[in-house]
Amino acid sequence: MLIVDELKKNDPQLRLVAATIAVGLMLLLAGLWWVQVVSGRKYQSHSETQSIRTVRVPAARGKILDCDGRVLAENRARFNLSLYLSDLSGQFQKEYDRLRPVKWVAHTQPWNFWSRSQSAAMRHVPLSQVQVDALTWQARYDVADAVVADIAEKLGQPLTLDFKTFQRAYESRLYVPYPILQDLDETQIARFEEHFSGGAANLDVQPARFYPYGDTAGHLLGYVTEDDSSLEGEDAYFSYRLPDYRGRVGIEGGFDVELHGHAGVEAVLVNNYGYRQSVNMLEPAEPGENVVLTIDLDIQQAAEAALTNHQGADARAAIVVMNVRTGDVLAMVSSPPINPVFSANSPEYLADPTLQPQINRATFGSFAPGSIFKPVVGLAALERGLNPNEYYEVQPDPEQPWHGCIYVGRRRIGDTVPPGEYNFRRAIEQSSNSYFIFNGLRTGITNIVKLAEKFHFGEKTGLPTEQETGGIFPSLRQVEGRDWRDGDSANICFGQGQMAVTPIQMAVAYSAIANGGKILRPRLVDRIDPQDPAAGETATNFPSGIVRDEIGVSQRSLRILREAMLSETEDPQGSGYPAFHQPGSILNLRVCGKTGTAQVENERNEIIGHNYWFASFAPYENPKYAVVVMVQSQSGGSGGSVCAPIAHDIYAEILKRESFRTLPPTVAMAKLSKNG
Amino acid sequence: MVDPSLNERGNRLDRLQLCALAGLMFLGAAFVYSATKNQSAWLPWYDQMWIRQVVWYVMGIGAGAAVCILDYHRLARWSLVIYWGTILCLVVVLIPKIGSTNGWGARRWIDLPLFQFQPSEFAKLAFIIAMANFLSRPAEELKQRAVFWKAIGLILLPFFLILKEPDLGSALVLVPTGVVMMFVAGTPKRYLLKLGAGVGIAAVLALADILFAPRALQLPMQDYQRQRLLVYFGASFADANATPEQRAEARRLQFARSYQVTQAIIAVGSGGLLGKGWGQGSQTVLGFLPAGAAHNDFIFSVIAEEEGFVGSFLVLTLYAVVFFTGLRIAGQARDRLGKLMAAGVVTLLFSHVFINIGMNIRIVPVTGIPLPLLSYGGSSVMCSLIALGLMQNVYIHRKGY
Repeated sequence: MLIVDELKKNDPQLRLVAATIAVGLMLLLAGLWWVQVVSGRKYQSHSETQSIRTVRVPAARGKILDCDGRVLAENRARFNLSLYLSDLSGQFQKEYDRLRPVKWVAHTQPWNFWSRSQSAAMRHVPLSQVQVDALTWQARYDVADAVVADIAEKLGQPLTLDFKTFQRAYESRLYVPYPILQDLDETQIARFEEHFSGGAANLDVQPARFYPYGDTAGHLLGYVTEDDSSLEGEDAYFSYRLPDYRGRVGIEGGFDVELHGHAGVEAVLVNNYGYRQSVNMLEPAEPGENVVLTIDLDIQQAAEAALTNHQGADARAAIVVMNVRTGDVLAMVSSPPINPVFSANSPEYLADPTLQPQINRATFGSFAPGSIFKPVVGLAALERGLNPNEYYEVQPDPEQPWHGCIYVGRRRIGDTVPPGEYNFRRAIEQSSNSYFIFNGLRTGITNIVKLAEKFHFGEKTGLPTEQETGGIFPSLRQVEGRDWRDGDSANICFGQGQMAVTPIQMAVAYSAIANGGKILRPRLVDRIDPQDPAAGETATNFPSGIVRDEIGVSQRSLRILREAMLSETEDPQGSGYPAFHQPGSILNLRVCGKTGTAQVENERNEIIGHNYWFASFAPYENPKYAVVVMVQSQSGGSGGSVCAPIAHDIYAEILKRESFRTLPPTVAMAKLSKNG
Repeated sequence: MVDPSLNERGNRLDRLQLCALAGLMFLGAAFVYSATKNQSAWLPWYDQMWIRQVVWYVMGIGAGAAVCILDYHRLARWSLVIYWGTILCLVVVLIPKIGSTNGWGARRWIDLPLFQFQPSEFAKLAFIIAMANFLSRPAEELKQRAVFWKAIGLILLPFFLILKEPDLGSALVLVPTGVVMMFVAGTPKRYLLKLGAGVGIAAVLALADILFAPRALQLPMQDYQRQRLLVYFGASFADANATPEQRAEARRLQFARSYQVTQAIIAVGSGGLLGKGWGQGSQTVLGFLPAGAAHNDFIFSVIAEEEGFVGSFLVLTLYAVVFFTGLRIAGQARDRLGKLMAAGVVTLLFSHVFINIGMNIRIVPVTGIPLPLLSYGGSSVMCSLIALGLMQNVYIHRKGY
């Protein structure tokens, strides 16, 4: 270097000084290289961790719609009042300065007499760190509390600021607003807007799940609970999570992934005090998709209304209305009702051991079917060569001579029908136990079970609602085993004993009888639509009419059965006749039905109640709808008197619905031929 | 760039050095602005820190030019008066009613009607002039024991007075400055070796005392100074037999005391190679780098964060130009007085630069010492520019003029 060369000539001392300085500068340069270039990344991440907070922003949850696009579940804005503490930081400082104790000190700098200094000056009293901390918190709390008190006065709602909660929020979450009041009503919002605009207090909008029709289809819809945990594929670590919801059961639960969408990530830049400096959307939230149901809101509401009208709001009951051709579920009622806003149900109500309102009885409750199982037994018998016109003599019961009975081994099984001659039609319409036990045993339990397996009793129908049971049905191995007795077989023949079914299973079974033998997959969801149609995403359609199995029964047997079931509602002796021929009833529909009454026994074989059933389909000529009504009751009655009137009202509503759509002429034809 | 050796006769001033100084002052104004724009944006323009800094530059340049008018020999004749005058100031500042603490722990400032001044800054200058004058005697006399001890006394008197304020950094820079001047003057090696050994032993003893001695035997020292050293050496604040509460308190304090230097090194490191851009340093903008220190003692962190290693390199290069041209001026000086003055100024500035930048990257412990011409502060800027004026004075009256 030129300068050093020059120094060499002059003197060694300066050269040494120059060398020392050069070494010192190189040392600094090497240190800077190490810190800035070699370890730069480490310090960059340090800098980011201390200045960036990530916030999980939930996606807008998708809607649930009925088949006509009516909204069953959606999001409503909920207004919360929050305090932006960063906007108060100036006031915190001012309050601190005001609170800080001062003293007057004589000002006696000897030469300062010419300057503008006063004779005494105000000085701050020195404080210890603990005192400073306490004073700082006092100042912060006072300011925030004053704001809250002001808001409370203007809104006319008492509000308090808890010091501990405030302190915790201040220490850990300064970058998000501090909540003061949740869920403001319209008056409060109006008052707030009038008095406070642009202050530290602000209205935050938070989505809340809203069900416009209240309890309607509550069990089917399910409910959501607050849950802000990360879904698969989302970031796992967040500094803060905004409130989010996850579906638990029902459609909300079964289609939670689709409804939920993907949460977004917001990065909040904070300063050294933790106040938010700026907000940056790293990843926008992807809204959830809409789930369109096969449910028809009109039929659903009609079914609920019919149930309430006939049995009251507290009835323990279930109704399923199904399209027999496609398996589309048009209505699914479980009673007592549950509010999909889960918190709106009182804990005592939810825990009631008798009502058990949380159970979706249409899919998750399994019940002895009683006589509505007889058509299955009848089909098996017809297939094994039973002559439907052959008469069977029902014996009188020695204890109740006006009732029939049958002996299986030494066991006497009572019948509700009077003694006399019964053929297939009469046995169905009046529901003779003796006839079906006699002919069922003649057919053989193995053949009944084989047919029942085709109907898939004892198996789930495959609903996506996470609330389904398969019920109970004996297997072939069981009935061929040594422990199986004729008495057990006799019980199966009239739908009692070791079997239990769900209303949805019966709807599927009766649909099969109606549609010529196809066991369909019940369908609850028609399609999943993108929430924003402009986004260009395609809808997911769920195909209808998926055939799970064929029962493999001749059309002749099915026709015989359907005719017998028709006479149940049309023959004055039929147990369903009164419900469909009430004065003033003008139902233009021929309904095939079967009533049922199953006894519910406790462990000591005492009868503690009944399951009343009415399972049906219509129109007779060209079946389209299956309606299954089940009512659990402790009081007396029959399927015909308890359930059939409910089914009647539902069919009436269906007819009304049909007349709005283009009514096929078959119904009108049917009415003419009915009297012929 | 003009090659000075070829154009020597045409240059009245060392232009290369002046260019480097102009560059440093430009950087100083720019980054004082960047470091304070958040806290002083709402102040009127004449209260903005960077404007004030520019005013200090202008006044400093004026003072430096004024120093150049007089031949440095005539200045040196007044050296004893200047020296004892500043010693008097250093004594006066220690008197509680007169010296101001400015709200900080140390009593460093004297309030004047318009501004405050820091006698320790001017003491450095006076010390260089007096030391140069004292050591410029014939080389033979330097071999006398009495002269050596007198020189040591010249160093130690202001050293202890400044230490008493307390201002450890300012006191410490006097030692290398004095030693280098003695070395350049030609003090015999045996004296210097003894001196070096003495300083070394004193430093080791002081350090050992601070780090390991029980409280009763510790040197009288401000707590924060001890803590800064403890932070640097990573030692625990708590006594060996402290209760858990005391330990927790000590840990809290340790965190608080190391906060500044931690944030400084994060700022420097996160600048990376190219930096985050002027005014974009998140450490500065978000206030992690304490607002009270970013524009003065930690200005280098701001530059390093916003301009990266490239910026650090530029700063070091500018200083290197100042130092080496300064040493050339020493080599070209007409006599030993001029040579010693120039060498003293260079050493003083280098000590500041090394300690200040070293503290930003944890090579040296935190001592509140400004970065010449870059840090905000009137006394520091004025002194640096007067010292550099002195250097130019030596250059103007170099050999052959």
